[in-house]
Amino acid sequence: MSARGHNVTRNTGKVEKEEDLVQGLKKGDLKAFDTFVERYQKKIYALAFNMTHNPMDAQDVVQEVLLTIFRKIGTFQGKSAFSSWVYRITLNAVYMKLRSKKKQQTVSLDDMLPNFNHSGYHQDKIRDWSQNSESLLFSNETREVIQNAVNLLPEKEKVVFVLRDVDELSTERVGEILGLTVPAVKSRLHRARLFLRKKLSTYFEEYRDPGVKQ
Amino acid sequence: MICCKECLELLYGYLEGELTPEVHAKLNEHFEDCPPCIAFLQTYRTTTKICRETLKSVEVPEEVKVKLQVFLNENVRNK
Repeated sequence: MSARGHNVTRNTGKVEKEEDLVQGLKKGDLKAFDTFVERYQKKIYALAFNMTHNPMDAQDVVQEVLLTIFRKIGTFQGKSAFSSWVYRITLNAVYMKLRSKKKQQTVSLDDMLPNFNHSGYHQDKIRDWSQNSESLLFSNETREVIQNAVNLLPEKEKVVFVLRDVDELSTERVGEILGLTVPAVKSRLHRARLFLRKKLSTYFEEYRDPGVKQ
Repeated sequence: MICCKECLELLYGYLEGELTPEVHAKLNEHFEDCPPCIAFLQTYRTTTKICRETLKSVEVPEEVKVKLQVFLNENVRNK
């Protein structure tokens, strides 16, 4: 048995390595499937919830993805990372949920940036609310505001933001999952951050100084 | 000295450490004398941080875990 083979199972019966997990799934090994569920259930649910902002939709997506993985594992050829394949299947299920509910929007960069004068310098005062946010973060209201702001992001920017800034995948991995170039991922991520900054600024500035808006 | 607009155009690269040392130093120089740009930088950075902390804390509710187990028993394990 190869060195890799020794790591296939421990006393817990869990399949440890990703490639062994894939082999186990392909053989229809239920232990491998349990390990897969344990390892990916939260990731799939969190991605689906953060994209749809709807617990029922997130639950439906998890069920659909787990079933798809179990049924379609034979078609996984290993050309990309297994986790990328799982992310793609999850996002396809998410898009099916979103498709019927929302029209595609776009983010205009100009709307997200402050006003500049002709020389390119700030025209208005920018308030630094970064210190306030720490103390407010634990309130349910703030968490709801943040989740609503993310939910307002157009799909194209939202998916990049969730994969890159929340799941902390590399820019290259996000590009692989979404079929985007690295510059396209960076551009969408920057737009998403600017959009969210603008939305959160309104909330945090109003909290600190009611009636004042940027 | 570069202007605020140029600074914000380079902000992503600045935070990701993708700028050349010379350009990075120019931005630092600008930030030292520009409170609005510092405020923008801090709030941009904080936005990412607080969104990550909030969205990362999503857990699968217990009742959903139970429903998933029932679903998997019916559709996968007992097939």
